[in-house]
Amino acid sequence: MARIVFCGVGALGSTAVHYCRNLGAELRVVDFDRVESKNLAAQWFVKQSVGKNKAEAVRLQLGNFYGVKAEALGVRLAAGNVAQLLDGCDLAVDCFDNHDSRVVLSEAARPRALPLVHAALAADGSFGLVRWDERFAPDREDAPGQATCEGGEHLPVIGVVGTALARAIQDFLRGGARHDYLISLSGVTRTS
Amino acid sequence: MAVLNITYQGQSADYDLEIDYQASDADIRRIAVEVVRAGDVRGLRVASLADDAFAHFVVDRLRGPAGEPRIYLRPKVPFGA
Repeated sequence: MARIVFCGVGALGSTAVHYCRNLGAELRVVDFDRVESKNLAAQWFVKQSVGKNKAEAVRLQLGNFYGVKAEALGVRLAAGNVAQLLDGCDLAVDCFDNHDSRVVLSEAARPRALPLVHAALAADGSFGLVRWDERFAPDREDAPGQATCEGGEHLPVIGVVGTALARAIQDFLRGGARHDYLISLSGVTRTS
Repeated sequence: MAVLNITYQGQSADYDLEIDYQASDADIRRIAVEVVRAGDVRGLRVASLADDAFAHFVVDRLRGPAGEPRIYLRPKVPFGA
């Protein structure tokens, strides 16, 4: 059984992991952050999860709602622990919200030949990308800690990017395909 | 020759670019402003587009699903959460 590690389960990661619940894969979730009330507008968390670690909240929701088991690791991924967090995984999924964490993940995945797919969203929520690591270069945020989408105004686009990511994961697990997607208000376009 | 895909204000469209695939990022941005202003990109016509509208956009040079050269001019995407 394939093991997938989701790195970051905010808006995109929490959406994508729920759409991967029937893949028959083992799901590992990594996120140090906690669910806040404001997250309920844009992330796949429920009121009962407020205050919980996001990775643990995903684990509980997958188990309680769907009977799907997942492994929750409530830590911040960094150079010092990335090897341990990726250990035993067949696929890594990057949904981080900052440039530096994406770089740490890519630099750990490449020498291991670990397949890595990224999902990323523009600040105004009008545009997103799903791209495999060999074609991805992370963009820097305009200011450190810049927030986006917390009010939920971009939820429909977040949903489309998250499901496009889940589709890319599904295609990879079924046949090894590494499809990229470009998501805009115009629709979803497969770009590779 | 390459296809230039421009994403602006949430809309995305293709334009057949008649310059070299390795044209500079500055040239790509300048051409994009001109063709969007002129309405040459289907679904993307902004007559009053500012000269620096794409100044902070990213230029990606990639191969499409059929291996064709494509250039993407797009907003930055720093976020996952």
